[in-house]
Amino acid sequence: MDHRLVILGVNHRTAPVKVRERLAYAEDEIVPALSRLKLAAPAMLEAALISTCNRVEIVGVATDFPAAAEAALGFLAGDRGVAAESFAPAVYRFAGRDAARHLFRVGASLDSMVVGEPQIFGQLKLAYAQAVEAGAAGLILHRAFHRTFSVAKRVRRATLIGHGAVSIGSVAVALAAQIFDTLADKTILLMGAGQVAELVARQLKRRGVEALLVTNRTFDRAVAIARELGGTAVPFDNYRPYLKLAEVVIGSMSVERPLLTAENFEPIVRERHYRPMFLIDLGVPRNFDERLNSFENVYLYDIDDLGQVAHQTRSSREREAEKAEAIVNQELEAFDRWLGELGLVPAIKEIRLSIEQLRDYELSRHRAWLAGLAPGEQVRVEALTRGLVNKLLHRVLAGLRSNGQVVGDGLYTAELARRLLCGEPELDAESDEDDDDSDDSI
Amino acid sequence: MNPIWIAIALACYAVSSGCFFFGRGPDRSRIANWGTAMLAAGAAVNVLDLIARGLQAGNLPVATFGQSLPFLAMLVAVIGLVLIVRRGLPAIGIFVAPVAAVASAAAAILGTRGRLVLPAPLRSGWLPVHVTLAFLGYAMFLLAAGVSLLYLTYEARLKAKRPLPAASERVPSLETLDRINYHLLGWGFVMLSLAIVSGAIWADATWGRFWSWEPQESWSLVTWLLYAALLESRLTVGWRGKRAAALTIAVFTVLAGSFLGLSLMHSGHHGGNFD
Repeated sequence: MDHRLVILGVNHRTAPVKVRERLAYAEDEIVPALSRLKLAAPAMLEAALISTCNRVEIVGVATDFPAAAEAALGFLAGDRGVAAESFAPAVYRFAGRDAARHLFRVGASLDSMVVGEPQIFGQLKLAYAQAVEAGAAGLILHRAFHRTFSVAKRVRRATLIGHGAVSIGSVAVALAAQIFDTLADKTILLMGAGQVAELVARQLKRRGVEALLVTNRTFDRAVAIARELGGTAVPFDNYRPYLKLAEVVIGSMSVERPLLTAENFEPIVRERHYRPMFLIDLGVPRNFDERLNSFENVYLYDIDDLGQVAHQTRSSREREAEKAEAIVNQELEAFDRWLGELGLVPAIKEIRLSIEQLRDYELSRHRAWLAGLAPGEQVRVEALTRGLVNKLLHRVLAGLRSNGQVVGDGLYTAELARRLLCGEPELDAESDEDDDDSDDSI
Repeated sequence: MNPIWIAIALACYAVSSGCFFFGRGPDRSRIANWGTAMLAAGAAVNVLDLIARGLQAGNLPVATFGQSLPFLAMLVAVIGLVLIVRRGLPAIGIFVAPVAAVASAAAAILGTRGRLVLPAPLRSGWLPVHVTLAFLGYAMFLLAAGVSLLYLTYEARLKAKRPLPAASERVPSLETLDRINYHLLGWGFVMLSLAIVSGAIWADATWGRFWSWEPQESWSLVTWLLYAALLESRLTVGWRGKRAAALTIAVFTVLAGSFLGLSLMHSGHHGGNFD
């Protein structure tokens, strides 16, 4: 009769996107799906459904995991109209401590495709809210998700896992942010149409750049790219006046000799009054002479420089991930302890203790009056209160015990009885803190 | 007068320096926050001390160099706090806190004793006006030099392709630093100009002449011209960024050298030589 946290599902590591996309649920499909799951797989006592572009997972609570897992997988196949054999090999299953670890790691963004990406936190919040809405989340899922959220917050606070750029595009954006205050009033000149260059321009555009100029040897191509990115095409045989306007220049033309040399670039710097310029050279062979970096207030990064910065960030991210794993393990211990303390036996112990304490307290309140009684009467008062407590306890415990054996949710009854007779347990003590900034990462 | 206040302020600034030093990393903003708090505490202690001494003196307690240092430390700390809190520039703390600490230490060594009250002809409402304006100007030029140091550090890293960890939001952009530098220079220049004017008016009221070519006056004029040239070069020739930062530091060394030299040589009225 052990209630265990269980997880089964597929993610970006076990299943390619063509499998994941067929299992995925749209946001508004999840609540009804959870209701259907409850009917189709009653062995799953609680359930939440996580569906993101990287994973489809059922997080649940079961006493008989193999049976619950089979039923849930059968449900998933039937519900999505996919042959179970087609994805069964990609499915991972975790129970107990392993399931909690997996959920914590997902929440801390350690299981993400880009480790540290922040979206997963909001996605988990949503999955939990949907499980609550569907009435599918119970005692253990509440606790498990709340712990997951607080683990994720601890990880974000205590590590730099969410920091740092990883792709060439984000490195370029991060560097631009160290040179320029804002990108909104800056002009970008995109020379050539390499794929990476286009990506970088797109990322800068997303960061608020308004003015994007595009030039290319074939003007039509420049026009096409400009239209796609929301910029303006300028002719290649007369790009120099536009170069003067640009704060960020991205070069990705195929050239034999550098387009910009120290000699032809110097007048431009002077005419720009030495205002800062960020040159991003993505061309191989390189478009900009490396000596341009020594011009005042000019910062030149070629593809290798950017790669090197990306690499630095990546390795620092790995170090941060190790710290995050340590946090997950700590929290796992605490969650395990809580799960172990759930259940009938500890509840009965705690209820007995609590009622005994109540009796002691009441007796001590009337100590003065008791002391004035004859010794025989004192013994009778003592016996009277003990009898009362024992009868009360007997009724509660007998009810709990039979209930625990007959119905599957004895755990919940025990928890309920404990809450009624011993006051709130520490369960909700931390949930307030968990809910404080629910939207910050989406 | 109790030197204990200077010691307490010094301790606050020293602790603040340590916090800013060890709180440099992007994941250590909590330590840096402590640095900010200690900086504020030091400034508050300075203010209390100034009020206490000011009540004794019946005026701004700046009759000697040693007495005026806590006032300067306080102004530097307060402007530093404005930059940290309002301009989001905690990185400047690593400059501001040690400077305030050194000024406090110097005050502790030189002592804030000695003549507290100025000779009768100089006791005037112009004293707080003139000294406050001058010191505000100095403090702003000092911070401009600090911001310029930060600029040169970050700039060198960017040039060397060793940028700071990309996402540390606490790293200000070069453009931001350049603009803060410009603002500090501009305001500092306004303060220095007003200080010179108010000094001249005060001198005229006391001695009957606006200008007497004593060393501090001449050097003030020199630094005023240098800062004017610095601002002019930015506005007309477009000297900004690295060059502006380097020049800001260079001009400040002239200012600091003349101020310290003249103050310690006790020459003229500004050196505390009133007789």
